[in-house]
Amino acid sequence: MTDETRSPAVSRRHFLASVSVGVGAAVLGRAPAAIGQQVRELQVWHTEVEPQTVKTIQDTSIAEFERKFPGFKIKQQPLGWGDLNTKLLASFAAGSPPDLTHLNPFMTASLYVKNLLRPMDELIRALGEHDIHEATLKLQYFDGKYYGVTHAMGATYFAERRDLREKKGIKPPETYADMLKLAEALTEGGRYALQMPGEKLYIGFVHPAEWLAGNGGAWVDDKTWRPQLNSKAMIEALEYAQKLNKFQPQGWSGQKYLDTLAALATGKVAMAHLSGARTIGYIEKYAPENLRSPEAFMPLLRPHGPSGKVGISALDGENWAVFTQSKYPNEAFEFLRLFYKKEHYMAYCHSVPIHLSPIFKSMLNDPAYLANERIKKWRPWHDVMVAGLKANRFLPIGFSRPSDNLLPFLAELDGSGIVADMVVEVMVSGKPPKAEADRAQKRAEELLAQLGHKRWS
Amino acid sequence: MRKSALLGWLLLAPSLVLLGGLVVFPILYNLWLSLFDKHAFLPVQAFVGFKHYRYFATDAEFWSSFYYGVVYAGTTMVLQIGVGVPAALLLNEAFRGRNLLRGVVLFPYMIPTIVAVMLWKWLLNDSYGLVNHLLVTTHIAPRPVPWLGPDWIMASLVVTSVWQFFPFVVVTYLARLQTIPPELYEAATVDGASAWRRFVHITLPQTAAVLFVIVLLRSIWMFTKFDTVWLMAGEGGVSRYVRTLPVYAYARTFTYLQAGMGAALAVIMFAMLLVATAIYFKAFRGEETFA
Repeated sequence: MTDETRSPAVSRRHFLASVSVGVGAAVLGRAPAAIGQQVRELQVWHTEVEPQTVKTIQDTSIAEFERKFPGFKIKQQPLGWGDLNTKLLASFAAGSPPDLTHLNPFMTASLYVKNLLRPMDELIRALGEHDIHEATLKLQYFDGKYYGVTHAMGATYFAERRDLREKKGIKPPETYADMLKLAEALTEGGRYALQMPGEKLYIGFVHPAEWLAGNGGAWVDDKTWRPQLNSKAMIEALEYAQKLNKFQPQGWSGQKYLDTLAALATGKVAMAHLSGARTIGYIEKYAPENLRSPEAFMPLLRPHGPSGKVGISALDGENWAVFTQSKYPNEAFEFLRLFYKKEHYMAYCHSVPIHLSPIFKSMLNDPAYLANERIKKWRPWHDVMVAGLKANRFLPIGFSRPSDNLLPFLAELDGSGIVADMVVEVMVSGKPPKAEADRAQKRAEELLAQLGHKRWS
Repeated sequence: MRKSALLGWLLLAPSLVLLGGLVVFPILYNLWLSLFDKHAFLPVQAFVGFKHYRYFATDAEFWSSFYYGVVYAGTTMVLQIGVGVPAALLLNEAFRGRNLLRGVVLFPYMIPTIVAVMLWKWLLNDSYGLVNHLLVTTHIAPRPVPWLGPDWIMASLVVTSVWQFFPFVVVTYLARLQTIPPELYEAATVDGASAWRRFVHITLPQTAAVLFVIVLLRSIWMFTKFDTVWLMAGEGGVSRYVRTLPVYAYARTFTYLQAGMGAALAVIMFAMLLVATAIYFKAFRGEETFA
């Protein structure tokens, strides 16, 4: 082999130099992405944890956002709403809240008074201020500005075995007295009439708020913010709850919301006290096949108390909020525009039909929205919600009246468990409602004073 | 001499920094925090001195939490000893399958708390739990017992906790049992001592020191136990029937959002344990025990 035919010799130094140049060129070639253009991440927290909902958001609004804003990535974090408050407050303490998040309406006032929220009037107007349902529009409206927009509405109510009630020839109850009669009639043969969820959140906050609202009461005095836990309205409601307890399985207070849905679907109880359209999933999965229809299972709106005029239920619907500390507020608002873009939003609402009902009045009656197979099958459930909305039968979770959105201490009242203790003592331990209400009143007054919200003398 | 002292301090420094940062600072910070009205997460605070301590002195919730804490810690500790010591004695005997059983006994202590609690909640559920199913089908109970309801939740919590933590007693006690010289038992047997007398006069004195430590540690750990109690009933309406002091401190901090009051409760618990431990040492730590 001659020198001419041999491969050129490559020294180690030459080889290393070539590799270094190559690597350097490769790095520099990507420099704009690697150095100049940091990938900016928009943190979005929300409370819709169903996998199909998470995927829908990813495939629709997030995908379009990332196409429109190539330098941005959106990181969505679904959280159970029981975890939301603590995690959110911890993120504030750490100085790094998400750019965009769901908030429980009962938390919003507390954050607003601390100047932590950005107004979003421009967005609301762009979405169609007059098309947003009145049940949600002004929940985060303070001092003439909007500070939130509800992501979707989900009504709560009783879910009943309509077939069993109709067999007894009993009409849907209008009053506490009607409900007690119905409960008595449906408790038979080892089956109980109803079951409440045992979680503190529900029996210590959601339901008592409904009881107060449906019996002419309120958490606190409108002007002085003095708690009203031993008011006539609350005591009457407690007496009702105590009587209702006789028609529940003994161990209900140790069980959870989802247990009550399973008990309804499997025929152990005739009514789940707290239900939304998620119940449909349980019915379709666990109820006997011949009963999986609105002929057997229907929602039932709440009865009212002796001092009230109309029964009130909780409306499940967190609102989107953008914080003053958000890193990318403009992009957060841009994302929201895409989230509410008709095709994206309809897909979102269809990901858990009826549970995620649209906030837009036009969409609630849109044939394209109503064409969803599950909505078609369970249309009476949708209709009950729409009828309830028309009749003002819903208030946001934990609200005893619309103006509760101005109370900056509802989250603390819920968290304290003061009301839950009162309800459990009355319902399960059978203690006198008046005495327990007085005790709770004293504790609530102490709490509000400690939190600096005492306005009464 | 000064050089060697300096070197000594230098060598000690990493440990001192670690101890200071991880033990002393948090305790002092907590003490300081307890003197403030402080929001748990937001930068809102005001100095209030000993107000929180005065408040808890007359707070019915505090005293009820203290009561539940003592009942829970006392009952679980006694039962852990009651189950753990006989189990250790049994596992100290020679029999076929002993090694396997020693491993199996450790199982509850090895699994995560959340798994243990979920398991027991399933077993005890009054709608679909195995325990109630067995009780009803064998006609021991006419209807399901609400184990997770207010009347039974403390008993359920105690059972769960004893099941989960008695292996600690077994392992610790067994380790000591294995170091007792067999000659002592042989001599006693030759002298005609019964099994009971051998236990009382040899085993108990020999294991008194380890029992002393077990009682001390288990009492402290059960009095400050949070996770098992919280997971069993913390979010439920029945939580007030098992609301021990750690749970109350957590609630004050993270659900009432009153970090100052939560800190004050932690300080009070710390003081209670210090006093109880001091009394315990004074009462039971005789010279002969550790001879």
